[in-house]
Amino acid sequence: MPAINQQSEPVIEIRELITYYGERKILDGINLAVESGEIMVVMGGSGSGKSTLLRHLLSLNRPAAGNIRLFGKAVNKLSSRALHQMRQRIGVSFQGGALFNSLNVEENVAFPLREHTRLDDNTIRIMARMKLEVVNLAGFEKLMPSQLSGGMIKRAALARAIVMDPKLLFFDEPSAGLDPVVSADLDELILRLRDAMGVTIVVVTHELESAFRIADRITVLDKGKILITGTTQEVKESDNPRVQNLLNRRTEDIPVNADEYLQRLTDDLAGL
Amino acid sequence: MTRPAHFIAHTGRVSLAAIEEMGYQFTLFAESLYWLIAGPFVSQPVRLSAVADEMMKIGVLAVPVVVLLSFSNGVMMAIQGIATLQEFDAESQVVPGIAYSVTREFGVLIAAIVVAGRSGSAIAARIGSMQMSQEIDALRVMGIEPVRHLVAPILLAMLLMMPVLTLLADSAALIGGGLYTGIVLKLSLSTFIDRCFDTLAVYDLMQGLVKSLVFGILIALIACSNGFSVTGGSEGLGRATTRSVVLSIAAIVVADMIFTYFLNR
Amino acid sequence: MGYKIEETAGFAIVHLEGDVDLSRSPTARQAILDCLQERQHVLVDLTAVTYIDSSGVASLVEGFQVSRRMSLDFALIGVSDAAMSVLQLARLDQVFPIFASLDARLAQTDPRT
Ligand SMILES: Nc1ncnc2c1ncn2[C@@H]1O[C@H](COP(=O)(O)OP(=O)(O)OP(=O)(O)O)[C@@H](O)[C@H]1O
Ligand SMILES: [Mg+2]
Repeated sequence: MPAINQQSEPVIEIRELITYYGERKILDGINLAVESGEIMVVMGGSGSGKSTLLRHLLSLNRPAAGNIRLFGKAVNKLSSRALHQMRQRIGVSFQGGALFNSLNVEENVAFPLREHTRLDDNTIRIMARMKLEVVNLAGFEKLMPSQLSGGMIKRAALARAIVMDPKLLFFDEPSAGLDPVVSADLDELILRLRDAMGVTIVVVTHELESAFRIADRITVLDKGKILITGTTQEVKESDNPRVQNLLNRRTEDIPVNADEYLQRLTDDLAGL
Repeated sequence: MTRPAHFIAHTGRVSLAAIEEMGYQFTLFAESLYWLIAGPFVSQPVRLSAVADEMMKIGVLAVPVVVLLSFSNGVMMAIQGIATLQEFDAESQVVPGIAYSVTREFGVLIAAIVVAGRSGSAIAARIGSMQMSQEIDALRVMGIEPVRHLVAPILLAMLLMMPVLTLLADSAALIGGGLYTGIVLKLSLSTFIDRCFDTLAVYDLMQGLVKSLVFGILIALIACSNGFSVTGGSEGLGRATTRSVVLSIAAIVVADMIFTYFLNR
Repeated sequence: MGYKIEETAGFAIVHLEGDVDLSRSPTARQAILDCLQERQHVLVDLTAVTYIDSSGVASLVEGFQVSRRMSLDFALIGVSDAAMSVLQLARLDQVFPIFASLDARLAQTDPRT
C-alpha cells in the first residue's frame, strides 16, 4: 500500500540521537517518530533532557551523533535557505514564553507575519487579533509582556506560535506553574487546535494530568534514554518500575553507598 | 602544578579564549555584511526602520555629550597649547597645533569613547537580556536570523553615524579652541577658522573619518558579541555590559595608536 | 490570476477556489473589496475551496466589516467542514452570516429592503 505509506510518513523522525553538554552525555540513543496530526507528549522528570531534545528538534543545537528528519528531510543536511523555509511551517512556544519584551502583545503575535509575508497591514492585524481571540487574550493587545501574568504569557506565546498556521507545533511546558483551571483551559485549546488545523503537536511536560488529557501517544524520557513510547493506556499499564515511579510520583529509592556518600559530603574540605 | 606551569596554562587558556572571541566577532562582521548586501535578494532584507532606530539611539542621542566634551577638550588644548608655546614665544602656532590634533586624533577619539560608553553598554545589555529570555532562540526558530535582525542594523548605523559624530566633534573642539584663543590672543573666531582651513588638508579630516569607521565597527562587534555570549543570569548580564564598554574603549585606544603610528611616520 | 465573479440576483458572488493561503489571500481580499467599492452586495462562495488559512479568513473579516460600514449585504456560502472548523476556532462562525447556497440566501427575507 504505497499510497498510505506515503501519507503516513512521520512528520518527525529521530534516529539514534546522542548529545552532550561539554563532557556530559545528555541524550543517549533516542529513537522516536511522530505521525502527522498526532499529539505526542514528551514526559520525564526535571533534568531528564526534555528541553534538550526540543532544542535539537528545532536545530538550535547540533547533535554529536544520529539524525533528525522533519517533514521527511534530514535537517542537518538542509541548506540555510531550506531551513529558513521549513522554519516558517513550524511554531514554537518556549518554556518561558520568550516574548519580545520591546513589543506589545499584538506586535509580538504579528511579528512573524511582518517578517515573512507581504500581506496588507489590515490583514496582518486581523490575523494577530484572531489568534488572540483563539487563546482568549482579546482586549490585551496593547499590554507589554512585562504586564502579563504567567498564564497570559503562555497564551500570548501560543498565539504567536500559531500565527503562521504551522504544520508542526512545539509546546514546552504549557501548564508548568499555572493553576489547574488555567492549565486545563490550555489543554483544551491544544486539542481544538489540532482538530481545527490538523497540526502535528509535540508537547513537553512533566504534568501527568495534562499529559493524559491531551496525548495520543506519550514518550517517557529518563536520564537521557526513552523508557517507553506508546498510547496513554500502554504507558499507564507499563510494568517498567521507573515508569511507574514517575506516574505515581514516587521518588526513587537509590541505595546508599556509605563510603561514597561520606566522601561526597566531605570532599575537598580542609584537614580531611 | 607548579606556579610557572599554572601561569603558562592560564595564559594559554586566556589567549585561546581571546582568539576564539575575535574569530566570533569576525564571523558577526562577515555575516552582517552578507545580510546588508545579499539580504534583499533572498527576501530577508535588513529593515531600514531598524537602521533608523539605531541611528537615533547610537548617533542623534549622543550629540549633546559629544559636543560638550569636544568643546571642553578644544578649550583645554588651547589653554595648554598657549601656556606651553608661550615659553618659546610661539603662541600663534597654537592654531595649527589644535587643528591637527583635533581632526586627526581627539575629535574621533572623543566621539568613539562617548559612543562606546553609551551604546556599547546599551547594545550588550539589550542583546544579552534577549539571549537570557530566549528571545534570540525564538527569532531563530521563526526563521529570522538574529545577525540580520539585530547586528546588521547596528553595524550600518555605526558606519553612518560615527563619521557624522566625528565631524561634529571636530567642529565643536575647533570652536572651543578658537574662542579661547580668540580671547587670549585677541584673534577673531573667523580668523581662527580661516587659519585652521589654511593649515588643514583633506587628508587630515580623512584620517579622522577613516578611523571613525573602524572604531564604529569595533564598538558594534564587541558589544554584540558580548551580548550574545551572556550566560549565568543577571550577574552575567552585568559582567557582559561592563566588559563590552571596557573592551571597546581599550580596542579603540589601541587601534588608534596603531593607526597613528602608520599614518604619521 | 483573479477569481471568478458572477452577478446574480442583485449579488456579486465571489467564487474562491483551491488553496486560499498566504500567497493567494491578497487576491481574494482585493476581489471582495473591489466588489464592495462598487457598492455591490457580496456573497463569498467557498464551495471550491480546498484549504483556507487565517490570512484567507482575515480577508473575509475585513470584507465583512467594510460591508457593514457601507450598509451592504455580505454572507458566506458553501462553507466546507474544513473551512468551518477554521472559522469555529476563532468563533467566527457566530459572526458571519453563513448559508448553504445562493438559494438558501435568497429564501431568507431580503435585508436590503
Ligand atoms: N546550556 C546548558 N549547559 C550545560 N548543561 C545543560 C544546559 N542546558 C541543560 N543542561 C543539562 O542538561 C540536562 C537536561 O536538561 P533539560 O533542560 O533538557 O531538562 P528538562 O527535562 O527540560 O528539565 P525541566 O523539566 O526541569 O525543564 C540537565 O542535567 C541540565 O543540567
Ligand atoms: Mg525543560
